[in-house]
Amino acid sequence: MNTEKQIRIPLSGRIDSTNASDVEGKILGELSGCGADCAVVLDFDKLDYISSAGLRVILRLKKTWNDLSVENVSPDIFETLEMTGFTEMMTVKKAYRVVSVEGCEVIGEGANGKVYRIDSDNVVKTYKNADALSEIQHEREVARLALILGVPTAISYDVVRVGDSYGSVFELLDAKSFSKLLASEPDKYDFCVSEYVKMLKKIHSIEVPAGKLPSVKENMLRRIERMKDGLPDGLGNKLLKMTEEIPESDRMIHGDYHTKNVVLAGNEVLLIDMDTLSVGDPIFEFVFMYNAYVGYSEYDPEIVRNFQGFSAETARRFWHDSLAGCLGTKDEKEIAAFEEKVRCLSYGYLIEWGTRHPGDANRAATIALWKERLIELLRRVDSLVFDFEQGDGASGDALDVEATNENLDAVTDFVNARLDAAGCGAKAKMQIDLAVEEIFVNIANYAYAPEIGRATVRVAVSDDPLTVTITFIDRGVPYDPLKKDDPDLTLSAEDREIGGLGIFMTKKMMDDVIYEYRDGQNVLTLKKRL
Amino acid sequence: MKENEAKRIRSGGIDLHIHTTVSDGTDTPEEAVEKVRGAGLSLFSVTDHDAIKAAKTVPALLGAGDPRFVSGVEFSCRDGKGKYHVLGYGFNPASEALNRVVSHGKMLRSGKLLDRVAILREKYGIEFPEDEIFRLLSECNPGKPHLANLMIRYGYVSSIGEAMDKYLNLLPSAPEYVSPEEAIDGILRGGGIPVLAHPLFGSGRERLDESEMIRRLDRLTGYGLLGVEAFYSGFSPEQIKATLELAGKYDLLVTAGSDYHGTNKTVKLGETGLPAPSEYPAAFLRFLDRLGV
Repeated sequence: MNTEKQIRIPLSGRIDSTNASDVEGKILGELSGCGADCAVVLDFDKLDYISSAGLRVILRLKKTWNDLSVENVSPDIFETLEMTGFTEMMTVKKAYRVVSVEGCEVIGEGANGKVYRIDSDNVVKTYKNADALSEIQHEREVARLALILGVPTAISYDVVRVGDSYGSVFELLDAKSFSKLLASEPDKYDFCVSEYVKMLKKIHSIEVPAGKLPSVKENMLRRIERMKDGLPDGLGNKLLKMTEEIPESDRMIHGDYHTKNVVLAGNEVLLIDMDTLSVGDPIFEFVFMYNAYVGYSEYDPEIVRNFQGFSAETARRFWHDSLAGCLGTKDEKEIAAFEEKVRCLSYGYLIEWGTRHPGDANRAATIALWKERLIELLRRVDSLVFDFEQGDGASGDALDVEATNENLDAVTDFVNARLDAAGCGAKAKMQIDLAVEEIFVNIANYAYAPEIGRATVRVAVSDDPLTVTITFIDRGVPYDPLKKDDPDLTLSAEDREIGGLGIFMTKKMMDDVIYEYRDGQNVLTLKKRL
Repeated sequence: MKENEAKRIRSGGIDLHIHTTVSDGTDTPEEAVEKVRGAGLSLFSVTDHDAIKAAKTVPALLGAGDPRFVSGVEFSCRDGKGKYHVLGYGFNPASEALNRVVSHGKMLRSGKLLDRVAILREKYGIEFPEDEIFRLLSECNPGKPHLANLMIRYGYVSSIGEAMDKYLNLLPSAPEYVSPEEAIDGILRGGGIPVLAHPLFGSGRERLDESEMIRRLDRLTGYGLLGVEAFYSGFSPEQIKATLELAGKYDLLVTAGSDYHGTNKTVKLGETGLPAPSEYPAAFLRFLDRLGV
């Protein structure tokens, strides 16, 4: 009695009308004792030909063992199975095509393998690792996910056997990486920065459905856990705690976003090397970026030239300019403040990486330099939290306007359009409008007086329960309206303090009102369940 | 949908039971669409046996001002209690559940075809080239007529009748079909409306009397059946009336179809027995509502 839940039966040679019933008898012999719920896999690896009589055998088996599948099917037999509709009736897996890369031109080489040009139209990317197949499949899956979610990327169209390992086949793109562009066509510098920033914003704008990609924060926490005890004065624990405080996020993170992984193919900018895709707060993306342009080569600037093909100066300039582009600011102080947060994590990552990987003669000195800089930073930096939504202009669901009373209508129109889209009822809408007016007029009248400054109004709607969150951001004088005491409603109107009633009404009508002062900004958040 | 568009569709000719070469009709889907246009129909469905290929290809053949198309299928079903044809309308042709029923039906048909081929070879020494058999299998639902044609082409018989009488009708064949429960479930999961085809007509000798019909409807409505084909080219006015009454008893929707097969049957397109649009019964109007037309 065979109690295996899955049984694999290899078939070889030919199955035609002369031997079909013998083959059937043999298979039934092997399956004797297997219940109908047993998964039967017919392995066609050594099968050369199957006639209609052989197909009949398969159908008869399928009637008893519904969970029947066919694997390692040669292209010829696959064609027969496809044409006769068998591929729709059961799971049929093709055999991997065998590709030889002997004598083929190597057109790229990375840490995990090489890229060979196998003919005029195709390249094959090979993998060194033992479980290359699962790595390839992972990369194909995440690349497909990214493409579905709107990131332009190249997807391999076939998996092949290469020697003892596997490779994925891509169409040969007439593409040039941004690294090559920057090295060979310096006049394309501005174009590269702007497209690089655009692509990054696209990636970070994507919300990834839960469970599809790993969390970058968890990965970073594991690394910091391993290196934190090498830092003095409890600074390691401080780094760990600050990392824990970075909010969870379902935003897409590329995880290795540097100029070798962004390519220009014709007029199209594509993102490649998707195996590091994850989700998390965008700050983590900047950590990997900093490392690629500055971090790894901080002790020895030649490292970046060897890796990217351009100088350390160009690398640093590109890092700075793309950072400024992403943050949407030219304010050097703001950029530097953010960069310090990024560098805390970068050094933590690098020290952990450097300790685990063998290096050259400079490695010890390099780690010492990273450590020295990290310690210096950790004595000053108190939070790694950064609000990426700021300074985003009117993109997405934020409106950036001059904080003046004349703009009140524009703000309420902006908010109402989003409330209508969310199916907000009339009463809730009226209450929200009143609250929005109260807060915005306050900013317009007091935040920058007597000057005029800007304010950002952001509207987000979330489900379960349906909730609208409206955030007001200004860079005016720090002011927490919630600290104001609630008015004494027992007093008559004349005796009450002027003002204060509006914010009181706002607190009453909203489900939550939160004030924060961070990074030089007043951030007031209203939440209302719809 | 705009109101005048609905008016246009509801006042024109309607035929919701048409076969093409995807199953045993003689018109290709393209030819069928051309004839539907020529017949001045405003609403039609292609209901091939056990196949939904037309539901995937016909929409691309239609343009502005063309008759409105509704996805359709006719499953041949059998269970311990008898044989039935179950129609499905307005489903999503990409539905996984529905495609599973289609591929199960296809598997059973392919199995029967291969059984017949094997017996013809073993018992009568009648053989065909492998690529001919593969080509037959590649049809959406190959059956006895296809084999008969092959026997003529390879000189074993001189007519379809001879092939049937001397060979094909004598071959033992497993009475295997998808069950009505499976078909109804697949149509419902695919977002469609399951309808019992020409209920009184039965199939061939298996014509039913009313009490048998009631037992049958009890069972099928239990599986989720939502309608009956009350207007049918093969029905007498009395049969239409009886079916409408049955539909009323079970609160079922009613549909209308000719069962047009091209030159394989004498029925004409649009020949359904439907009255003038102003006299459409409420159960038929509710069916149109449900289709969104």
